[in-house]
Amino acid sequence: VPEPSAATPPTSHAMRLLALEIERTIDGDVRGWMPVTDFTRVPSGGPGLAAVAMLVDALGGARALPAADPDWAITADLSIHLLPTGPIDELRADAHVRRRGRRTLVLDFDLFGDDEIPAGTATGSFTVVARPPHLADVTFDASGPRHAMIERTSDGSDELGRHYLEELGIEEREPGVIAIELRPEVSNNLGALHGAVHTAVMDAASASLGRHLLGPGAETTEVHLAFLELARPGPLRAEAVAVGPPPPQGDRLTAEVRLVDADGRLCSYATTAVVTT
Amino acid sequence: MSATEPADPTDDRPKPSFGATYSGVAAYLGMAVSETTDGTEPLAVLRGPFAAPDHITDDEGRTPTGVLAALVDSIGGLASGIACMPDWIVTTNLTLRRAPGALSGPTGTGDLVLDTEVLRRGRSAVVTRTAVSTTDGSPVATGWMTAAVLTPTGGPPAITRPVRPLPQSPIDDPSFASTPGEFFGLREGHGPGEVALDIIVRIRNPWGILHGGAMTVLADTAARSAVAGTPALEPTPGLVTSDLITHYLSPGRVGPVVASAEVLGRRGREHLVRVIVRDHGADDRLLVESVLTVRRTDRPRATVR
Repeated sequence: VPEPSAATPPTSHAMRLLALEIERTIDGDVRGWMPVTDFTRVPSGGPGLAAVAMLVDALGGARALPAADPDWAITADLSIHLLPTGPIDELRADAHVRRRGRRTLVLDFDLFGDDEIPAGTATGSFTVVARPPHLADVTFDASGPRHAMIERTSDGSDELGRHYLEELGIEEREPGVIAIELRPEVSNNLGALHGAVHTAVMDAASASLGRHLLGPGAETTEVHLAFLELARPGPLRAEAVAVGPPPPQGDRLTAEVRLVDADGRLCSYATTAVVTT
Repeated sequence: MSATEPADPTDDRPKPSFGATYSGVAAYLGMAVSETTDGTEPLAVLRGPFAAPDHITDDEGRTPTGVLAALVDSIGGLASGIACMPDWIVTTNLTLRRAPGALSGPTGTGDLVLDTEVLRRGRSAVVTRTAVSTTDGSPVATGWMTAAVLTPTGGPPAITRPVRPLPQSPIDDPSFASTPGEFFGLREGHGPGEVALDIIVRIRNPWGILHGGAMTVLADTAARSAVAGTPALEPTPGLVTSDLITHYLSPGRVGPVVASAEVLGRRGREHLVRVIVRDHGADDRLLVESVLTVRRTDRPRATVR
C-alpha cells in the first residue's frame, strides 16, 4: 500500500501523463484543457472516457478543495456522458458549482472539442471531510491565466509513450475483467487508487466486455460511478457484467461494473454504456 | 419515502406525517415493498413488485423512465433510511440506466420487480443499488442512488422489521388512476422542453416538500419534449429515456416548479439532454440538475404519456 503523501504526484503519475492545463478565474471557477493524442483517442476519434475522467476529476478537485478549505473534499461520485466529436486536438472542460452545502459540493462540467464542438457533459459530487493531518500544509493556487496543472519534468518522463490505459498498468484478464496493481503512479494522496484511475478501470472493463459482445470498435461513452471505499490494498480487480444481452445487431450495451480490492471488498460501483462505432 | 432535501435539522418545518396506509405518490405508484429476509440484519434487502397499471405505462405496456426512477427513489430511500435508523435520509442523487434490449418491443413491458440492496452505509451517506427486472427475471434497468444521513424534524417514520406491505385502501380520487402527467399535475411551459407543476398536496412527501419522484417525472417529460420539439404534454411516440442522473440540490417548497430542457447533442439515435428545475415561487431556487439520454426506438408508434 503506497504511503499517504502530501507531495506533488511522483514522476509518471497518472495526473501528469495527460498534460492538463488549468485557468482559474477571480471568482474561483475553473476551466481546463487536455490535448487529445493517439495515446488517449478512441476508435471514433475523440478522447477516451478514461482520459476525460482525469481532466474532470482534476478540475473538480481544483474547484472543490478551495471551496472546502480549511476542510478537505473527496470525490463521492462522477457521471460522464460523451458525444461524438470526430478527431479533435484538444478537449476543454468548464466547471461550474451547482450546489455548495456544508457537507457536499455538486459540480457540473461542459465539455468541448477544439473549443467549439460539443463533447458531452459531466457531473460530480464532492464530500467535505476533515482535512487529513498529512495534508495540513497544502495550499491552493490563486486565480491565474492558463498554465500547466502540474509542472512537467524536464526529462520527458511525463510524456505518454504508449496508450494511456497501458501506461496506467491496466491488464485485461478476460473479457470484461480488468486488474491493476496499486502503485504510487496510480494512487491518490491517501495511498488508495486515484479516483480518475477508478474511472479508467471501469472504462477498460466495460470496453473489454463491449469488444467481446459488440465487436472491435466498442468504446465506453457513459459512466455513473459511485466511490464507496478507499481502494486498497491492491491488486484491484474490476468486472463488467451486461445488464441484459444486447439486442440482435445491437450497437449498444449497458453494463454494471464492480471494483474490488485484494480482500474482495467492494470499493466502487458503476453503470456504463458502451457503443460500437 | 426519502425526504429529498439537503440536511438541515435546525429549520422550523412541520413534523412529517406518516399514515398507516400508502398515500400520495406512494399510493399512486402502488409498490408493495417487503423485506426478503427476517429483518434482523441492520441492512435491509428489499423487493418491490410493481404492477405497471395501464394508466401509468405507454401503449406498449412500458413504464416511463421518470416513473421508474420514482420507484427507485422510493425503495432506495426506504432501504437507506432503515440503514440509518434512528436517523433518516434525504436523497441527494439518483441514476438509472435501462437495458438496451428492454427499450422497445415486448421485453421490459408489463409487471416489474425492483430489488434493492445497500452498497455502503457510511457516517454521512448511504449508497444503494436497485435492479429492475420483469417478473420472469429479464433485466430492465439498473441504477444506484446516494442519500445523505440527517436527523429529521419529528423523527424518522416508524418502521416495523421485517418490512411488509402496508394495507392498500381504495382511493376515490380519480387522479390516482390517471396518467403520470395528470397525477403530477404537469403543465406545458413556454414551448418544447419546458414543463411546470404546482406543489399540490398529493405530490408532497411526508415532510411536506415536493416528492423526488415528481422531479424525475418532470425531467423525463421535459427531456422527451425537447427532443421531439413538441409541447411537453404531447405524446412522444418512439422516444424513450434510456439513462438519467438526477442531482437533488434544494427542496421544492413553494412552486410553481419549472423544468427547462436543453439538447446538448446527439450520438446516432441518442440525444443528450440537460434539464434544470427551478422553484419560481422561491426566487427561482435551483432544485435539480438532471442529465438524460433520450433514444429514438424502432417502434415509433409507442406513446409515452
